[in-house]
Amino acid sequence: MLTAIKNTLRIPVINLGRLFQTSAPIATEKFVHKRIPQDDEGVQGEKIIDLDSVLKSKQSLFPTLESDNLLFDGMPYNQLPICNIRVTHNNTIFTMTDAAGIVKLIRSCGMEGFKNTKKGTNIAAQTTAISIATKAIDRGVKTIRVRVRGLGPGRLAAVKGLQMGGLQIVSVTDNTHVSWNPPRPRKARRL
Amino acid sequence: MFLTLKLLSNRHPSFIARTVFVKNNNVDDACRLLNRILGKEGILEQFRLTRYYEKHLQTRRRINHEKCKAIYNEDMERKIKFVLRKNRHEPFPGCH
Repeated sequence: MLTAIKNTLRIPVINLGRLFQTSAPIATEKFVHKRIPQDDEGVQGEKIIDLDSVLKSKQSLFPTLESDNLLFDGMPYNQLPICNIRVTHNNTIFTMTDAAGIVKLIRSCGMEGFKNTKKGTNIAAQTTAISIATKAIDRGVKTIRVRVRGLGPGRLAAVKGLQMGGLQIVSVTDNTHVSWNPPRPRKARRL
Repeated sequence: MFLTLKLLSNRHPSFIARTVFVKNNNVDDACRLLNRILGKEGILEQFRLTRYYEKHLQTRRRINHEKCKAIYNEDMERKIKFVLRKNRHEPFPGCH
């Protein structure tokens, strides 16, 4: 019994004698496999890229075969009116069509009173969007799907403006014309 | 099979590809997700490249630059990984 206590006491006594060490401790530790982390799969934000996790978790964000007949505001998805937005560097054009593609309303930043370079700003796009939204609501349109084509400063502002105007947006689609084997484009700008 | 039939009837059916549904009236999020997808798939880049004709000299220069950047990025990533590595099996390497 006494020897057992002695043995336990011995180690701290030895340590007291060496308050500071003159050399670095020798690595006597054995290789522990547990310390190496496993290849993890599916932990968000660590190894999987952010977008992939979004795609994994929110499958309902994207259309499927059945989504054509989903009801929005009492109307199936493929019967909802469409708002086509053509965004360019110099202008933004909105057209409201029904599901078949027949144009009901058309509005552009130039029609709204913006002139020259001011047509191609996001503020112009937003005000035009709000005005066309109010006009559409007057005609009894409430929920729409949006199809955006082209890149420009008004791209985000246009979709936002439609919502601010009081329309309910069901989906946003990109319809930018992109080709991987296009005909020869126009010559480059000289700056 | 239904999808094949649908594609046969219309080569470019709209509101299938590049479409994001808006959840909880959050248009901003949907647009951002759409833009991120377009960027990742290289659609925006292709659009930008094919807006104006790119002369061969410019193509060569761009591709060479991309190669250099890829090599540099790979090396730098390896370096950063090396500096930030953890769980060393020897806690004080080279000290004895």
